[in-house]
Amino acid sequence: MPERILDARWLEPPEPMELTLAAIDGLEPGEHLRLLIHRTPHMLFPILKEWGFDYRTHTLDDGTHEIFIWRKEQAAAGDPGPA
Amino acid sequence: MSKPASLSLDQAPPIGVPLRFFLTAPLFALTAALLLLWQGPDLFSSRWNPALLGLTHLLTLGFIGLTMLGAILQMLPVVASAPMRRPVLIATFVHALGTGGIGLLCYGLIFTAPLALQIALPTLGTVFLLFSALVVITIRRSPAHNMTARAMRLAALMLAATVLLGLILLSNHAFGWWLQTREILTNLHLTWGLLGWIGILVVGVAYQVVPMFQLTPPYPATLTRWLAALLFILLLGLAPASHFPTLLIVLKAMLAAGFASFALTTLWLQSQRRRTLPDVTLSFWHGGMISLLLAVSLWLAAQCVPAWGVTQSYGLLLGTLMIVGFAMSVINGMLYKIVPFLVWFHLQSRRGANGPKVPNVRELLPESRTRRQMRLHFFALGALLAAVLSPSIFTYPAALLFGASSLWLWLNMVSASRTFRKVNALLGQTTASAG
Repeated sequence: MPERILDARWLEPPEPMELTLAAIDGLEPGEHLRLLIHRTPHMLFPILKEWGFDYRTHTLDDGTHEIFIWRKEQAAAGDPGPA
Repeated sequence: MSKPASLSLDQAPPIGVPLRFFLTAPLFALTAALLLLWQGPDLFSSRWNPALLGLTHLLTLGFIGLTMLGAILQMLPVVASAPMRRPVLIATFVHALGTGGIGLLCYGLIFTAPLALQIALPTLGTVFLLFSALVVITIRRSPAHNMTARAMRLAALMLAATVLLGLILLSNHAFGWWLQTREILTNLHLTWGLLGWIGILVVGVAYQVVPMFQLTPPYPATLTRWLAALLFILLLGLAPASHFPTLLIVLKAMLAAGFASFALTTLWLQSQRRRTLPDVTLSFWHGGMISLLLAVSLWLAAQCVPAWGVTQSYGLLLGTLMIVGFAMSVINGMLYKIVPFLVWFHLQSRRGANGPKVPNVRELLPESRTRRQMRLHFFALGALLAAVLSPSIFTYPAALLFGASSLWLWLNMVSASRTFRKVNALLGQTTASAG
């Protein structure tokens, strides 16, 4: 699955959210965004839900949060998002 | 480690809830500057000067109190992890009665108008005591018990105690009777207000906002767990200790050490931040923490040279450092983070997926404008401190600088608010035409 990467680690709020929302705007069907961030972006999740995106979070060994974001229609079409 | 608080779309109150407080507060600071300009050097003649009492409350209740009320109404649903019921009604009630009551109190003090004070007394009592109860009850029912919420609850209790003392003292002015213990109660009122309500609230809020916005390491867990509670107990102890001078000095020394350790820890954390780009809010916090340390040093110096501690200028210097230097600096700095963020957040949530672009936080409030206002604020602080020491030379320049800084802050708030209205209207048109 094609991937876009956004490294928002140690950017001052709300820059990570600004960049993430701008990045997902341009996501093509079948693409996903891999967001790297230094803290859990609690405020982002409700917006993603409301805008019709799905996400999966994962914490790396160095404490970085890795968040995969994709359009919900993909899952509906049988693609469960990034493996 | 405290549980991180967050704000979700369904929990956030409408932007008008906090914004009305942030737009009104700088006008009270501006009024204080105009009062200083009108009264001139005589204002500093005595700490009991009614006009100086009016000026103090224009700043503590009008500027500091209103912004803190607005910020807490915004944060409460986040802290409580549940939306507030009828936020607009509560905000309208608190704001209307609060501004009216503060206006009447200051008018009554400045012009010695007992009727205004008699109306202000129940008005302010109702608003602030109900508000304290709202904060304490909401946080008690909250499932999330982070250290910021705990500090906020202790600060609200201190607000209630400060207000109760304030009401007793106000009844003296309003009904013309004088308590023998007026000086002790006044000292307790201002100490609980400045160190309890404002001080503990800033400490608690710093635990969240300093690491989050300034990208510093978190505050040490020992400090976040104990400091607010310790300050609260020490402040409460001041009441019974007022008749025991040795105990009083021990409690005050521990309070001074507590606030100094908070200021030093904050400055140390800020020196460890990940990014070293200049930031206006960070500079405001630096100024606030340095003012707090200067206030502690001043208090310490007065203990070493008791003759100096009883002079008129000592109390006024301490008050200026705590009110304008510490509290107003931190609040002014935070407004520059909170207001553009709220405007951006509400526009962003309104825009929806694939909607038109909304301005980012830097475009909403450009740093060039906030930085100039910050310089003016600190020049004003320096001039005000100089005016306390030498009123005849510095009072008028201080009033002009402080007035200009307050006006500029207000214009910056108005500008962000107007951008919100403009873009919000555009988004409304886009949604309508898309529908």
